[in-house]
Amino acid sequence: MSSVLDGFAVVLEPTNLLYCLVGVVIGMLIGVLPGLGPAATIAILLPITFGLEPVTAIIMLAGIFYGAQYGGTITSVLLRLPGEASSVVTVFDGHALTRQGRAGTALGIAAIGSFVGGTLAIIALTFVAPLVADFALDFGPPEYTALALLGILLVATISSGGRLRALTAAAIGLLLATVGRDDFTSAERFTLGNLNLADGLDFVPIAMGLFGLGEILYNLEERHRKVQAPATVANVWPSRADLRQSSGAIGRGSVLGFFLGILPGGGAVLASLAAYALEKRRSKHPERFGKGAIEGVAAPETANNAAATSSFIPLLSLGIPANATMAVIFGALLIQGVTPGPQLITENPELFWGVVNSMYIGNILLLIMSIPLVGLFVRILRVRATILAPITVLITLVGAYTVNNSVFDIGLVIAFGVIGYLMKKLGFDPGPMVLAFVLGSLLETSLRRSLLLFDGDPTGFFTRPISGVLLAALIAVALLPLAQPLLRRRTPLAAEKDRGEEEVGRGTPEARDPGPKEPQAKQAAAGTPDSGAPDPNTSEERNSAT
Amino acid sequence: MNKKLPALGLATVLALAGCGGNLESDDSGSAAAAYPERAVTMLIGQDAGGSTDLIGRALADPASADLKQPITVQNRPGANGAVAAKELAAAKPDGYTIMVFVGSLAYITPLAVPADQAVDINNYEVVTGISQDDYVLIANPKTGFKDVQGIVAAKRPIKYATTGVGTGSQLTSSLLFAQAGVDATAVPFNGGAPALTAVLGGQVDVAAVQLGEAKEQIEAGKAVPIVTFAEKRPTYMPDTPTAAEAGYKVPVQQSRAVVAPKGTPEEVVDRLRTAFQKSFGEQAYKDFNTQRLLTPNEVDGATLLQQWNGSLQTYKDLVAEHKINLSGK
Amino acid sequence: MSTEPVDERPPSAGPLSNLIAAAVVVILGGAAIAGSLALGAGSPSEPGPGTWPLIIGAVLVVLGLALAVRARDTGEAERFTRSGLLVAAAVASMIAFVAVIATIGFEIPTLLLAFVWLRFLGHESWRTSIITSVGIVVVFYALFVGALDVTIPHLF
Repeated sequence: MSSVLDGFAVVLEPTNLLYCLVGVVIGMLIGVLPGLGPAATIAILLPITFGLEPVTAIIMLAGIFYGAQYGGTITSVLLRLPGEASSVVTVFDGHALTRQGRAGTALGIAAIGSFVGGTLAIIALTFVAPLVADFALDFGPPEYTALALLGILLVATISSGGRLRALTAAAIGLLLATVGRDDFTSAERFTLGNLNLADGLDFVPIAMGLFGLGEILYNLEERHRKVQAPATVANVWPSRADLRQSSGAIGRGSVLGFFLGILPGGGAVLASLAAYALEKRRSKHPERFGKGAIEGVAAPETANNAAATSSFIPLLSLGIPANATMAVIFGALLIQGVTPGPQLITENPELFWGVVNSMYIGNILLLIMSIPLVGLFVRILRVRATILAPITVLITLVGAYTVNNSVFDIGLVIAFGVIGYLMKKLGFDPGPMVLAFVLGSLLETSLRRSLLLFDGDPTGFFTRPISGVLLAALIAVALLPLAQPLLRRRTPLAAEKDRGEEEVGRGTPEARDPGPKEPQAKQAAAGTPDSGAPDPNTSEERNSAT
Repeated sequence: MNKKLPALGLATVLALAGCGGNLESDDSGSAAAAYPERAVTMLIGQDAGGSTDLIGRALADPASADLKQPITVQNRPGANGAVAAKELAAAKPDGYTIMVFVGSLAYITPLAVPADQAVDINNYEVVTGISQDDYVLIANPKTGFKDVQGIVAAKRPIKYATTGVGTGSQLTSSLLFAQAGVDATAVPFNGGAPALTAVLGGQVDVAAVQLGEAKEQIEAGKAVPIVTFAEKRPTYMPDTPTAAEAGYKVPVQQSRAVVAPKGTPEEVVDRLRTAFQKSFGEQAYKDFNTQRLLTPNEVDGATLLQQWNGSLQTYKDLVAEHKINLSGK
Repeated sequence: MSTEPVDERPPSAGPLSNLIAAAVVVILGGAAIAGSLALGAGSPSEPGPGTWPLIIGAVLVVLGLALAVRARDTGEAERFTRSGLLVAAAVASMIAFVAVIATIGFEIPTLLLAFVWLRFLGHESWRTSIITSVGIVVVFYALFVGALDVTIPHLF
């Protein structure tokens, strides 16, 4: 424990405090600009760190990383431009709140959630890092297959459009993920002979095109002009009621984020997705989600920050970088003459605890910075839409270039902007498409790796403990709705109560779609079975909510 | 309405440093003698933060001091560097665009991709070789494997992770197991870290990864080194035999070089070479090599071409001899 | 929830645009299937490059057919109206932007794109349009070239 306290002494040295501040400020700014992500920024700034002490250098670089998580929320909420895959989910309710003039509330709750999630994850990291590190190793290809499948299932349930349309969008997202050179055979798939497509499509042009640009093009149609700017940008800070409403989401998001964040590859995305789906499932009024539910911002933002923090665990305690940013930090440590690995804590306690403890300080700095910044950023919305639109478009186009220094990517943003516009016109939500795209290659490569490991025998998935449990849960979630009519008949009383809570439900035509993967199971399993009345409308109302 | 970003104040101040355009101007080819009169762009065909990127950035700083012009590092990741190589081939041969070229793109990837996608190193001017990276085969301790003999004697089909299709990791393992007569299935992962994770987690039995990546795990006893594919035993791993000592012919290394477009004037290539030799001489750079377990291979262009063309031929022959199909089809 | 802007939504789309959307999905699925078969479908024990796209292609065809069957349920789909021409003009301006940026740098295309959007798509005044578009270029230059040192093609 004394080494933990020594770590605080390291952090409180003025130089380290200064670089922590510099790091989080740079990170926040980078996060606000769509495109250039933390990994690229850290790589660019690497030479600056050569002259610094290892601890100081890593404190600054880590600050950039989690600072960017704070900043990324801002564009997602205000402009519908998610800079990172893990803030895609925030767009749904964050932007809806913005349209209601509650952007300040959304950003405020995101900052608080981020702070709580980040801080709880650091505390967990402090005490259990070495214990949970091996958790990451237990996840092999079969476990990732199960997780990714669960993720896709959740994607289809959290969309605001109809389920059939959501599934279609998700399937197209999966197909987009197959573009590029196949990891297993180096065969070119759907690249049309274009070398720019050889490594597949990038997340940033797709997300910025479908969400940001698609939205702008849609709004160009004149009907929105008179009502675009929300008249008031009220309650800049979340009210007590908002906080109360979000506290559960923040708590659960922290836990989910911490554990899923440990997993290398896709942890933060899955965490934000799962946290959102969990809140929607638990909510008594799930239909509010996608239309501006404050928990819908609090949960994913808390989870992705907790995940960002816990993604340091594989790096610092196993020497395995969990994502691109961690890979660059790994490189920075090597240049500093420190090789991250299992012995880092014992051989270099000052570095380990210095970096970990700097995150407490960094999170506090970010929260303090957020308070004035939220007010400042929200003012963007006072700019007339006709002026804001070209600025946003240009930031999007230039931002897309900065990811891979590729003009081709600017073209992609425009193409996906058009697709996003057409989808919106035709009543498709782009959310499932983007999320399925993110999970698509994880799902395919894990599935194929698993089949190689099992010699093509799919029963292998069920004989491994973790993947077996995950798949059983998944099948339960997918199949239980079919059993629901049976449950309903047995519990008419509980249903009576339940129906009262569901009065707010609002049906959309798609709700009639008896999707095979009806995701009501958890609720049913949790002992709140559905209506006993044979009235088909009741169940349809529920469907509409999911 | 333009005060929307608080970054702007800062940005404007920083922008006062100012700089000229980066578009290709047409009058640049005139005086090679005056080279370099503006910034040099160094393309890197791998992601920021990877080994190649770090090597390029470690070299760029001291070299630009010698050139008295900045060297701007630009990552153009894609297809193991083929995207960047294609861009380099199209660039003006004036010494203002160079690239850190990975050997595997020149001598391993051509074995795995169709001929029209293969990149030929002979279509470029090589400025200088940089360094070589050795591979080591590691096993999960639970497998009980300690040497190649043990794997053969186990008489069971084994699974091995590779760092991807058309990589040195795949080539080394498949050559070794083909020669040892082991029934082995390759499971491709996307890079060194995931492959290493798969070994540590016991998802696969063994994997060939770059020495620097596995060093810590080996020292911590979480991975057992079976054999290295180096030419001679690396000094920091004196107890692990090389493949040649174990009786197998697997002469595979990753190698890197600085290259310029074909047709770059000889004096410009020489000037660049002098600059990079300055970098090679820096103590900080030497320490970096030691830390990353890289073997310097700072040879001139002709020698490097000879090495790489030789490797391509050797691997082609070995792959044909053992009927290995790297493309996995 | 009360302050949600009241949009003057155009009339709902007819079954025709839903049918077209469904057809696009089916065609996309069909193309994926054709492409997958060309790549090699593989088998469960030896999945090939085409196995996974083949599955997705099949799923897309099924979903597309389901969409076609339910084309009458227009859901949130909207009819395309004359104001769609504005969108087409906006897209054309962006295509022009990306076509010339590599050769003449980002400054002039940025200036023109901003101006076109402000003056002609947004009907801002000449004064506002000129000042804002010049301002955008200056700020972008300071930010991307000056502060971030991004390698975007630039003229100055």
